[in-house]
Amino acid sequence: MMRTLAQTGNGWMTFKDKANRACNQTARPEAVVHLSNLCTEILEITADTESAVCNLGSINLARHVADRGFDFEKLAQTVELAVRQLDRVIDLNFYPIESARGSNLRWRPVGLGLMGLQDVFFQLRLPFDSESARALSCRISEEVYFHALRTSAELAREGGAHPSFAETRAALGELQFDAWGVTPSNPRRWEDLLAQIRTHGLRNSLLIAIAPTATIASIAGCCECIEPQISNLFKRETLSGDFLQVNAYLALELKRLGLWTPEMRNAVKLADGSVQGIDAIPGELRSIYRTAWELPMRALIEMAADRGAFVDQSQSLNLFIANPSIGQLSSMYMYAWKKGLKTTYYLRSRPATSIAKTTVRETAAIACSLENPQACEACQ
Amino acid sequence: MSRLLDPGFNLTLRPMRYPKFYEMYRGAIKNTWSVEEIDFQIDLSHLQRRMSAADRHLIERLVAFFATGDSIVANNLVLSLYKHINAPEARMYLSRQLFEEALHVQFYLTLLDNYVPDQKQRARAFAAIDNIPSIRRKAQFCQRWTDSVLTLHRIESVADKRRFLLNLTCFASCIEGLFFFGAFAYVYFLRSRGLLPGLAAGTNWVFRDESAHMAFAYQVLDTVRQEEPELFDAEWAAQVKTMIEEAVECEVAFADDVLSDGVPGLTRIEMRQYLQYVADQRLLKLHLPTTYGSHNPFAFMELQDVQELTNFFERKVSSYQVAVQGEVAFDHAF
Repeated sequence: MMRTLAQTGNGWMTFKDKANRACNQTARPEAVVHLSNLCTEILEITADTESAVCNLGSINLARHVADRGFDFEKLAQTVELAVRQLDRVIDLNFYPIESARGSNLRWRPVGLGLMGLQDVFFQLRLPFDSESARALSCRISEEVYFHALRTSAELAREGGAHPSFAETRAALGELQFDAWGVTPSNPRRWEDLLAQIRTHGLRNSLLIAIAPTATIASIAGCCECIEPQISNLFKRETLSGDFLQVNAYLALELKRLGLWTPEMRNAVKLADGSVQGIDAIPGELRSIYRTAWELPMRALIEMAADRGAFVDQSQSLNLFIANPSIGQLSSMYMYAWKKGLKTTYYLRSRPATSIAKTTVRETAAIACSLENPQACEACQ
Repeated sequence: MSRLLDPGFNLTLRPMRYPKFYEMYRGAIKNTWSVEEIDFQIDLSHLQRRMSAADRHLIERLVAFFATGDSIVANNLVLSLYKHINAPEARMYLSRQLFEEALHVQFYLTLLDNYVPDQKQRARAFAAIDNIPSIRRKAQFCQRWTDSVLTLHRIESVADKRRFLLNLTCFASCIEGLFFFGAFAYVYFLRSRGLLPGLAAGTNWVFRDESAHMAFAYQVLDTVRQEEPELFDAEWAAQVKTMIEEAVECEVAFADDVLSDGVPGLTRIEMRQYLQYVADQRLLKLHLPTTYGSHNPFAFMELQDVQELTNFFERKVSSYQVAVQGEVAFDHAF
């Protein structure tokens, strides 16, 4: 499995133990999560008579940063609106087969996710693997889960609980974080919410699923999903063509410092979109603008595990190792399982050799060369 | 200690004299790809529906050149490079390069079979080397440099070494480093218009291989320069300068033909400027002064210089390695 992952990036993993233990739909022993969807964020029970289907939506976190910091009030409003919309889709949808329709109306699952987490960290100048980033990421997921449940309970009050509510763990007073042994912050507000759920039930058996957002993040102009940026400068290859993407936050920071020059652009290009070797950039910025290849994957997994306590389906967690060995991969995936993750998505790597750069000079800059003025950076 | 261009067939790998060549060999192995991974379906619909007559003329010329270009390089590898670069680790790299040249030939053959359904037209594409003046001129240029070492079976004298070095320099700097780079620019120009993704995908891989071939050739040249600096004198510099200028003229003439029907968005003047820019880069790699002082006019080539991110569900992702090493363990850093 590790070899195939290293050679192709494929081999999405579903850890079936945790996927079942921590699923709201599996309160009855005969209800089993057999597999995830392709992108590994949807975990729902299936049976001969039940085909799992799910409506998804993702919140662009990049648009929830205010002058004073992350805007949790706005996030709460967005979550409520999104859950109401996703819930409506369940009734308005076209179902091509009866088993999908039956299952969807019984369980009414939705999958609300996130994108642009990296954008939030850029805006607040937090290194991706810093303690403050980790705490903020966890708090965001807790808020999303809380307000999603709150909205679903309200929807249940308005239109009734989903028909199979009695078969869920929520009906027994168990929420996602209980399966992780985690106590949420501000337990008081959760107790109030549980009281609401006891009274009205929930309109939706599942609420949170963090999808990869590969295309919509591009359209919205934010970083994908819960991922660190792949590079400060890269090419997005799509069916409709290849597009150059530059990290606009970095460009803005460097402009402020008067460092966004053609030479700087070339230096970033030569370093394959990394700023780690560019001494002119202050250390604090270099730490914030590390790429996925330069971050410890352990931090990514830990962040995902923190968040996991508030994700009742799962997350499309990509992992990045430029030049993987089998030992590294087995250690990493074992750690992911031990931290209680339900699924992992692609492994991304880099090619062994690369294309000769055409638009920048790869030879070391010549300090000054009178014999060769055209090659001399100083004389241009 | 023996030198890289001393004649013979050295067999000693331990101690290894040039570990860098061995590393390059292993890097190349990790980049194995196959033609079957490339999907030409979208290209075909573009050729039929979205491309003008001028675009199609460009494509026909391009395919005609590609169909023969890599075979020429493979022949020279066997007839010259493999014979005279005397280190087993370097010959390992060359063996691998030979396989890659065959792969490229297969890629362009498959391309041709897909793009040109008509048998007679296919035959014409292969005959381009004789019939189409702009391609014949490039082929003659290559032929002349292959011929220059055809009777050189064993490097015996300083003059032999000079002959060989010019041949090596020509194939790295002019043929792989300029003719191919010219051809790649047309492909990426089309891609910038959203056309022919299959051709662009395969070309990405060919480009990656060609870059490695050039890096190897320059590594050989730098090694010889260290061992025998006297070979790289003013006479050598003058010969290389003339050779590269000639190659630029051949490729400019090819551009005049390729773009003769007027391809919107790509002018002959820009193409000339680009080729001059690339030629200057080659001269710098050879530690020689630049000739032209041109700047790169093609913004779309910048896309080649940055790492790619592909959605798995849209395209074949190429950023992977084969021959990954190690054993299962649970205590490695990650």
